[in-house]
Amino acid sequence: MIKLENIHKYYDSQHVLKGINLEVSKGEIVSILGPSGSGKSTLLRCINFLEQPTSGIVEIGGKRVDVESASKADVFALRTSTGMVFQQYNLFKNLTVLDNVMIGLTSVKQLKKDEAKKKSLDILERVGLTNRLNHYPAQLSGGQQQRVGIARALALNPEVLLFDEPTSSLDPELVDEVLATIRSVAATGKTMFIVTHELQFAREISDRVIFMEDGVIVEEGTPEQLFTQPKAERTKQFLSKASRNK
Amino acid sequence: MENLLDLNFLIESFPAIVSRLPITIGIAVGSLVLSLFIGVFTALIKIYKVPVLSVISSIYVSFIRGTPLLVQIYLVFYGIPKIIYFLQIEYGWLQSADVNSIAPEVYALLAFSVNLGAYLSETIRSAIESVDRGQFEAAKAIGMSPTAMMLKIIFPQALAVAIPNLGNMFISTIKDTSLVFIIGVVDIMGQAKILGSRGLAFFEVYIAVSIVYWILCIIVERVLVKIEKRARRYERGIAA
Repeated sequence: MIKLENIHKYYDSQHVLKGINLEVSKGEIVSILGPSGSGKSTLLRCINFLEQPTSGIVEIGGKRVDVESASKADVFALRTSTGMVFQQYNLFKNLTVLDNVMIGLTSVKQLKKDEAKKKSLDILERVGLTNRLNHYPAQLSGGQQQRVGIARALALNPEVLLFDEPTSSLDPELVDEVLATIRSVAATGKTMFIVTHELQFAREISDRVIFMEDGVIVEEGTPEQLFTQPKAERTKQFLSKASRNK
Repeated sequence: MENLLDLNFLIESFPAIVSRLPITIGIAVGSLVLSLFIGVFTALIKIYKVPVLSVISSIYVSFIRGTPLLVQIYLVFYGIPKIIYFLQIEYGWLQSADVNSIAPEVYALLAFSVNLGAYLSETIRSAIESVDRGQFEAAKAIGMSPTAMMLKIIFPQALAVAIPNLGNMFISTIKDTSLVFIIGVVDIMGQAKILGSRGLAFFEVYIAVSIVYWILCIIVERVLVKIEKRARRYERGIAA
């Protein structure tokens, strides 16, 4: 279970997250929608401390961390219980596909090399990339890179996967293979947070959809509720605009 | 007939000059290794803006850049024995060190390491800063420690960026080692000078020594190209 309590984030005097409260149960898939600058990516990055939240409490899998007094060990615990998939993939450029997935197991979890390799091969099989093990990221398409990114995030078997606009830098024809991979991970019962602009995908995959604007959660509900009967005026505007742009 | 060159003397001087190559190469390679440590350390201090140390690092780099290498060699050669002597007399430290028995090669190595370290620190710093922020974030996100992140992800990528510059500096250093004769190190240049004054044939020996430097630098350049290719192998877009 994941719980965010009253998360605030300031950049200098700019207030980008204004008290976010969220409770997500195990296996739940939550999509976060909202215009750019609404704070949705920042929220995701506050969960694993890529951004240090200014105040609030983050709780993942029973580990409760008050962000203002978070120790290095707390941050480490949060980071190893989350797996992040980045918009720009951010694969380790100097490592092969296999090593990208293995490195968390060998250098963070201190697994033996052959054990780490076995696990990594299993995961790479799930994302369909066992034929690219010794390729470097520069030798892969964007879609393949992002699938490796998902494999790397899965490798540490995190409580929750955080997707930060996973398809936004992809060529349109490559989006589907990544969405298919995310779907197959979803089917395994992994808890997931997905920040996305793919409305149709969010509607289809999510258990819950959150609409954020200006650092607050404007509205949340099942995809059905949010997409067919949005309550807030802002949600209506956003959805009609976003679907018109499609 | 007056000869422009005493060719025989020129040719005969080669073996003696080449026999001093280990000194030249030893000082160049040794100071490269030491200066890499100094350079990485200084670069990290600046990147992480460590208080006090970053000010000292800036002064160090500025001083080395703003003074001639020749002066730096003299400072090390004359300064360090005096400092050791002073510490022995005033504080009773370093009693086991015998100032007079320190070989001039040691001072040369020190001076070149300190000199090259300052230049390398700037190259290394900009190379580390050129590594994509996303690489740092991805490493942090999977819980890597700062040390593991640096050693396994950031340094290898920074090195690939820095190698051409590091190589140029190393080649400059090889040539600059010709200065060490002034503190009594007999390197290839020192040997050439000795031979030249013995036979009163300076033009010949300097031609010989320049050929030795030239060939050495060509070999080093070739090796550097190989090293660079290897360090950048992951950047190639085509499947290997």
